[in-house]
Amino acid sequence: MTKQPFSWRLACVLVLILAAFGGLSAKLFWLHLNPNDALRLKIQKTLKFEHKISVGRGSIMDRNGAVMAADIAVRDVKVDPGKLNAGGHVQYVAEQLARMLDLDLALLLNRLQGRTGNYAPIKRFVPADKADEIRALNLPCVHFDEGSLRNYPGGAMMAHVVGFSNLNGEGSGGVEQRYNSWLRGVEGYRISEKDAHKREIFSRRSLDIPPQEGSDLYLTLDSRVQYYVEKALHEAMEEHHAAGAWAIVQRVRTGEILAMASLPDFDLNHFGKVDPEVHRNRAISFNYEPGSTFKVAVIAAALNEGIITQDEVFDCENGTWHYGGRPLRDYHPYGLLSVQDIIKKSSNIGAAKIALKLGEGKLEKYLRDFGVGRFTGIDLPGEEGGLLYSRARWSKISVTRIAMGHEVAVTAMQMLSLISAIANDGFLMRPYVVGTARDCNGRIIYRAEPEVVARPISQETAAQMRRLMARVTEQGGTGSRAALAEYTVAGKTGSAQKPVPGGYSDSAHMASFVGFIPAENPEISIIVVVDEPQPLHTGGVVAAPVFKKIAEPVMRYLASRPAEWHVVGGASVMEASP
Amino acid sequence: MIDLTRIRHMLRRMDWALFCTVGALMVLGVLFIYSATWRGDGIPMSPFYKKQIVWALIGMALFFLMALTDYHLLGENAWWLYATAMVLLVLVLFLGKEVYGAHRWLSFFGVQVQPSELAKLAVIVALAKYLSRPGRDMESPQTTAAALLIMGLPFILILREPDLGTAAVLLPVVILMLYAVGVPLKTLIFLGVLGLLFLPVGWFGLDQYQKKRILVFLDPTTDPLGAGWNKMQSEIAVGSGGLLGKGWLKGTQNVLGFLPRTVAPNDFIYSVVAEETGFVGSMAVLFLYVFVFAGCFRAALAARDAFGRLLCIGVGVMLYVHVMVNIAMTVGLMPITGLPLPLMSYGGSFMVSIMAAMGIVQSVYVRRYRG
Repeated sequence: MTKQPFSWRLACVLVLILAAFGGLSAKLFWLHLNPNDALRLKIQKTLKFEHKISVGRGSIMDRNGAVMAADIAVRDVKVDPGKLNAGGHVQYVAEQLARMLDLDLALLLNRLQGRTGNYAPIKRFVPADKADEIRALNLPCVHFDEGSLRNYPGGAMMAHVVGFSNLNGEGSGGVEQRYNSWLRGVEGYRISEKDAHKREIFSRRSLDIPPQEGSDLYLTLDSRVQYYVEKALHEAMEEHHAAGAWAIVQRVRTGEILAMASLPDFDLNHFGKVDPEVHRNRAISFNYEPGSTFKVAVIAAALNEGIITQDEVFDCENGTWHYGGRPLRDYHPYGLLSVQDIIKKSSNIGAAKIALKLGEGKLEKYLRDFGVGRFTGIDLPGEEGGLLYSRARWSKISVTRIAMGHEVAVTAMQMLSLISAIANDGFLMRPYVVGTARDCNGRIIYRAEPEVVARPISQETAAQMRRLMARVTEQGGTGSRAALAEYTVAGKTGSAQKPVPGGYSDSAHMASFVGFIPAENPEISIIVVVDEPQPLHTGGVVAAPVFKKIAEPVMRYLASRPAEWHVVGGASVMEASP
Repeated sequence: MIDLTRIRHMLRRMDWALFCTVGALMVLGVLFIYSATWRGDGIPMSPFYKKQIVWALIGMALFFLMALTDYHLLGENAWWLYATAMVLLVLVLFLGKEVYGAHRWLSFFGVQVQPSELAKLAVIVALAKYLSRPGRDMESPQTTAAALLIMGLPFILILREPDLGTAAVLLPVVILMLYAVGVPLKTLIFLGVLGLLFLPVGWFGLDQYQKKRILVFLDPTTDPLGAGWNKMQSEIAVGSGGLLGKGWLKGTQNVLGFLPRTVAPNDFIYSVVAEETGFVGSMAVLFLYVFVFAGCFRAALAARDAFGRLLCIGVGVMLYVHVMVNIAMTVGLMPITGLPLPLMSYGGSFMVSIMAAMGIVQSVYVRRYRG
């Protein structure tokens, strides 16, 4: 059957097969024991990745939880132009993207056609649902990066307090800036390795710092109160053709701010579209000469020192008094006025004489105790500290000028704090806008506590001042237009010419009204400042009605919430903010 | 009526060393399929390894069925088997499920089978039957021609699927069976020269992707991210194992997906083994295969007739060609052809057909002495 023995042939087959086996073994030996280290290292390097884990920015709510600032999910749309051109779908993809994203097709084509590389950003901050629509089209080489965009549902509401964060997610104004580090949270950091599908290999993490989500802030501001304030200011701007107007509502017992607005304002969602000057919160950053409102500080000081009584009479010189070689005038001429009436009628001459009686040293001490010339310490960026020269730089007539609110500058916040101190039995409180901060789990990580900064006057003086100031809004007082039907208002008008180089302007004025309600047992204090009202310009005519427009609905609103405000109209201690 | 005494007698005569080696390779296969699909703690895995266990059990059942059945029964039905395989190969061209442009799979009641696996066995059985016929003149060219014809029909059909790798396995199987049975060397050399002459013609018959694979094999740097990817990554995987390997589940190349997860448990299972068990482990697995091959040879030498002997040679060569080509491909000695590693690679049809073939070998061995 066969020439050669069958087993011999089998042996040949065996040899052949063992030769193959030997060959494989040799190659295995070579690969295993002389590995290509250079190539391997190169590959290992491509595995490693370092990754920042970004976190969502915390939200900002008003005191009742209404959202004022929050992140919304967006996508950045990008394409891979190299692959797109290679695939020949440029025209189609560009058409679709231009249609979906409202882009100019010719421009887009110009950017993409013939381009190499693998990355071309198309549009940032595309809403997530829009991006999903585009994704559903299954366009080749179109990719999406997840991102977030700051959204301000209130638009211009509380603009200067809330502030805004820039496109890189860093707070650049208001609470957004001041509390940036809490809002931003802490980015996580991870060093790990990825597989060929760019997925992380969990077992190969060498460093993992977990991210810390941003915290949520609850403001002390109340959207309702803020709304009344902004509405009244807008109306005043229009009525008096003013260059600006700002107002603050403060709770006198704690110092917390219930509303703060500064006009002109801007939509936070489009913060970049206005002059940066508009970003400025004038309520805390605009130094102005307070005018007559400042008299209360001087008189309070004199009363506290006991050098005058409220019934003491001063000669107001029928409107013109020469002191130190310079004339001092009253708006309306008066003869003899008691201290009470000096406040009520706002006599410059009367106030000047009281200040002279008090003396330079005492005057400066009291003003400094009231916080004039010093930052209030409000938790907002950009605060100005006002201006009060030290006594060494005063001239002979400085005392008389300071007494009527000239040669001294304050911010509205300082002026209001001063008035609130009178309302608060003499305790000067630090104003604040953020009540609580909660971490991402809802745990309270910060709760603002009312903080006494100074106590310039005694409780008795404060009570006396409240009574005197309440007369200002009575019939015949300069602030009668601020009077409310249901509550007694204590306050003071202020009208000052704006300083210009070489003196004071004849046409540009600052009209203001500052006061608190109810006069006997104050809850809130309000300041209204109107910048360059035309043609009317006195605080009593311009600012006092705005005060009333704010105070009336605000008091109604607060009285309707007795749970939180159980003291309105009565005497008791208030709760701390939430 | 099942004769238990006879069955016990036959089982006692089985080559248990061979059986244990086969079993060991199957277990290793499941373990490394698990490793190849493992991604890390708590991450859900593809159920490949579970399916493989089921296939292994089915294969084991078939193994015992074939071992206990007299292989002559196979010889009597050789041509029916051959005809069935050919019909299925034709059917798959028309009804086959298209995967990556190839028609290799037929669906039977939801189970996907590859007719080419059955065809390989059918060719071995038919050829053994044909060549073992008493009085067949091995020196006559007609015998060789007829043998080539028996192989040629399924070869062309499988090539049409297209499945170059599986078709190519038939060549060495038939050549070595012819050589072993006594066809003169000069006839085989003549065939070899003829084949070389036709090689350029064959080149033009290849699909684009097949040409690319061969070109990339010759110079992998031409396309390191495309067709050269698997080869380079596989070599790195093998090499990174070092002497003792990284340990089970610790391989990075496959875990990291640099060996595409779709091929790691199939054609590239050996690179997973090599990476995780190192030179020692991969040599050990290679030795296990040599031992299986040697078992087939032992059965061939002990066979009581030419038919049995040829069956064992055919099966042994088929198995070993698969092993050699697969490993050569893994270590970069051959172009990537997509041939699985017997007993270890993930895949049902191949597992079942290989276990059936191992059963046939045992059937021959069990019946080594008359009576």
